[in-house]
Amino acid sequence: MLDVGRHPNIELMAYTEVEKVEGEAGDFRVTVRRKARYVDEDKCTGCGACAEKCPTIVPDAFNQGLGTRKAIYSWFAQGIPSTHTIDPDHCRQLNGKKCGICKKTCQADAINFEQEDRIIEVGVGAIIAATGYDVFDPSKIPEYRYREIPNVVTAIEFERLLSASGPTGGHLHRPSDLAVEAEIDALEKKARKSEKALKRFEEKYGESSSEFFEKYERGEYQDDDRKKWADKFKEHLGTVKPLETLKRKAEGFTVAKRLAFIQCVGSRDFRFYPFCSGYCCMHSVKEAIIAHEHEPETTSTIFGMDIRAVGKGFEEYKIRGGNQSGISYVRARVAEITEGENHNPIVTYEDTRERVVKSVEFDMVILATACAPGKEAPELARILGVELNEFGFFKTDRAQPLDTTRPGIFTCGCAHSPMDIPESVAQASGAAARAAQVLIESQMREAS
Amino acid sequence: MSKDILVIGGGIAGIQASLDLAEMGFHVKLVERLPSIGGKMAQLDKTFPTNDCAI
Repeated sequence: MLDVGRHPNIELMAYTEVEKVEGEAGDFRVTVRRKARYVDEDKCTGCGACAEKCPTIVPDAFNQGLGTRKAIYSWFAQGIPSTHTIDPDHCRQLNGKKCGICKKTCQADAINFEQEDRIIEVGVGAIIAATGYDVFDPSKIPEYRYREIPNVVTAIEFERLLSASGPTGGHLHRPSDLAVEAEIDALEKKARKSEKALKRFEEKYGESSSEFFEKYERGEYQDDDRKKWADKFKEHLGTVKPLETLKRKAEGFTVAKRLAFIQCVGSRDFRFYPFCSGYCCMHSVKEAIIAHEHEPETTSTIFGMDIRAVGKGFEEYKIRGGNQSGISYVRARVAEITEGENHNPIVTYEDTRERVVKSVEFDMVILATACAPGKEAPELARILGVELNEFGFFKTDRAQPLDTTRPGIFTCGCAHSPMDIPESVAQASGAAARAAQVLIESQMREAS
Repeated sequence: MSKDILVIGGGIAGIQASLDLAEMGFHVKLVERLPSIGGKMAQLDKTFPTNDCAI
């Protein structure tokens, strides 16, 4: 990533969308919209002082909404470019409220609320569409109760929970526990505020709030100011009591140790995508191995029709996971997930070896979601003037697997079809070679 | 006649294609919809089968 930012031959245009493509192979004219960041790319040093001071907190899309970010943010800590961006939907200043704290904080004077989108036309000889995929939305499968049961998560959400740079610092806290902890934080903040108000009264009248309140209840005081004090005290108790209950509850929280991975969520399923997404078996094995590395007591069960470990070193990896990382592989198609005590998901399946229906309780369930075609692929295909296949990936020919239906436009990676990282990299090199070929051929034609 | 190539998408595929072309001597314009490149791979903790860091 860093190499891309540094390479003299690469002009990186992030936060930019393609709007129009005209011309033909060897000579395309492409119109792009460079969206307003409200931050000057040339001035911003990426120091993050603005984000520290920004008062608006919103869910962090990079962390799949499991963490939070500010209205001025960098997409992720090591992002290239490191330029910060103001989220126009949430920024107070851009929504007509008084704020501008980031502008006052920024020492580089990079904040510019007046910035507008810029439309730029570029001339190129060839185009590579490497727009990737979208994670299948498992809430389309009602029997898995994704979103209903907090501890049923997608593989990419689990990936963020495992990550040292993620919202939990790599500790496998369950989403239900995280929600309680967030509630504790909110109540503590409220309690601190009311404590401050009570302290002012205590200093003014020279007695503790609880002593005063006893007297007040006996009817010793009638004045308005003391009535306010009493109301404040009642409000404080209303915060502190549930706070104590939640804190006691949180004492029993541990990291998730019993994990279930459910394969083929949306793929190899004729209701959604009949194809095999290819990489999900392996990322479930990987996530189970990493979870076991973080916490050696962790056991994982991977429920799948079969484990497709097809690739260099993959089968050995799968076997190593079984032998050393507490993974059991169960041949089953999970029928249903229900919620048990303490938000524990219960997985119901038919064990096809023993031919019995079983229900097993876990701490967390991870759904190996399908590689779905990009939601924005139809719009981009229209702009590029290329066709998509029956599922919504870029249409290609078997004889020329990286060529789209329009000459001079190529595709690679998951925009082409589901594939893992090594395959994406190999295809990308192939697409680069094809694009280079177009340019070299048209240069030679011009020269002759 | 342009010697430039447009790459749409700054995930692992777009990054690799851009670097290859840039090394060949072509000028690349890499367009990414989000504020930073990296794509889905940047969201991953580790990669199989070597457990290497994704970033």
